[in-house]
Amino acid sequence: MASLGCHFLLPLMMKSLDPRVTRLNIPEGELVPKVPLDQFGTFEVFVQIKEGKGYRHEGIVHAPNIDMAFLFAKEQFSRRMMCSGIFVAETRNVYVTAFTEDKDNVYSHIVDNIPEDGEEETYEFFHLNKRGKQHSHIGSVPAKSHQHALTLAKSEFINGDPVYNVWVIKTSDILFTNEEDKIMWDTLPDKKFRDASDYRASDKIKEFKERQQ
Amino acid sequence: MNEQALKELLYKMADDQLILGHRNSEWTGFGPLLEEDIAFSSMAQDKVGQSQALYTILHELGEGEPDTVAFMRNADQFHNCQLVELPNGEYDFSLIRHFLFDTAEAIRFEMLSNSSYAPLAQLAKKIKGELRYHTMHANIWIKQLGAATEESIGKLQQSLETALPYALGIFEPSPYEQELISEGIFEGEVALQDVWLKKVEEVIGQTKLTMPDVASLTPAFGGRVGKHSSHLQPLLDEMSEVFKIDPGADW
Repeated sequence: MASLGCHFLLPLMMKSLDPRVTRLNIPEGELVPKVPLDQFGTFEVFVQIKEGKGYRHEGIVHAPNIDMAFLFAKEQFSRRMMCSGIFVAETRNVYVTAFTEDKDNVYSHIVDNIPEDGEEETYEFFHLNKRGKQHSHIGSVPAKSHQHALTLAKSEFINGDPVYNVWVIKTSDILFTNEEDKIMWDTLPDKKFRDASDYRASDKIKEFKERQQ
Repeated sequence: MNEQALKELLYKMADDQLILGHRNSEWTGFGPLLEEDIAFSSMAQDKVGQSQALYTILHELGEGEPDTVAFMRNADQFHNCQLVELPNGEYDFSLIRHFLFDTAEAIRFEMLSNSSYAPLAQLAKKIKGELRYHTMHANIWIKQLGAATEESIGKLQQSLETALPYALGIFEPSPYEQELISEGIFEGEVALQDVWLKKVEEVIGQTKLTMPDVASLTPAFGGRVGKHSSHLQPLLDEMSEVFKIDPGADW
């Protein structure tokens, strides 16, 4: 046990990032693979604020894998607000269209059909209905690829309100919340002590000033 | 209802949560990545909140105000197990401790959700969700690092071996085991340790870690009767520093 007390975090010995220090290291002509950034990949997080409402994109977390992304997403995006479910997908598994503007529906730019072979699977759809807002989960389509799913969805959405951007994620690339884990979100209403407003600081300052007079 | 037995149970549970909540909060701002920093800090805050709920029950049974009880006692008046007072060490130790303790805590509260003492049964149901996340967090981390690299496996293994005798100290028998069991307040430390060990072995079995032979270890007892390591008093001094400037202050 003696060793426990003295194990503090030590900084990693890192190579300098200062170009004045590193520029003299000229390689001798051989090709080397580009070194990835020293950080984890990103995962997209979708949150359902209450049962019956749709899932909405809330942001990203960094994580080494999807299980850990789920762990981090739970605290990152549902710690201080109502939540009844979360799901996460690795960013590189999200397929995105280009953005449109004004009354231009992105579906009007999608080709009608593309030749497809392969296994049919389901794909989840997320629409951006207003620029600057978040993508909302719309539903799913059985198809043979992301692109194929998009062409199949075209007929349903081409005549509706303009959609400015679409995300398509294969259902099997998403980690959903297990039903039995949903109790994780049961406790929030009692945690008023986590909100600054619960301390009623301005009342106390007022009271203090009155006492000073 | 045997009030003395009940209070002994409530104190040790509350003290465990307060001290571990405080220890884990020492990682705030130092976590291995921002997302984990937030998650670990949030769970630490949950623990302090849970201890407050238990001190409030004790207060209703005639004990002091929760803040007074939390901040004005000395080390020898605390009933936490020694596991929770040990310094954080490196992240592998904190994770192993989090895993060993929270597994026991979740099972303890699951048992208490059937307690004949209604306030405890109600609290157990209320915090079930928090505990679900805490054990999910611990299990996923242990599975991840326990099967990742030689370094991560080696470090976790060493921490597991260091922490286990202390973890067995969680189950130090109370002088009131029989009363608690016969009155239906709590199923007892022996029953708890039994379920705990199976759960711990189940998770460790999904990693490349080796579970030491628990029967051959000497549990670190003493915490429940106020015998602590030299690490607890400095923690208490730091934790109560602000409170003690003006114990009567209205926050």
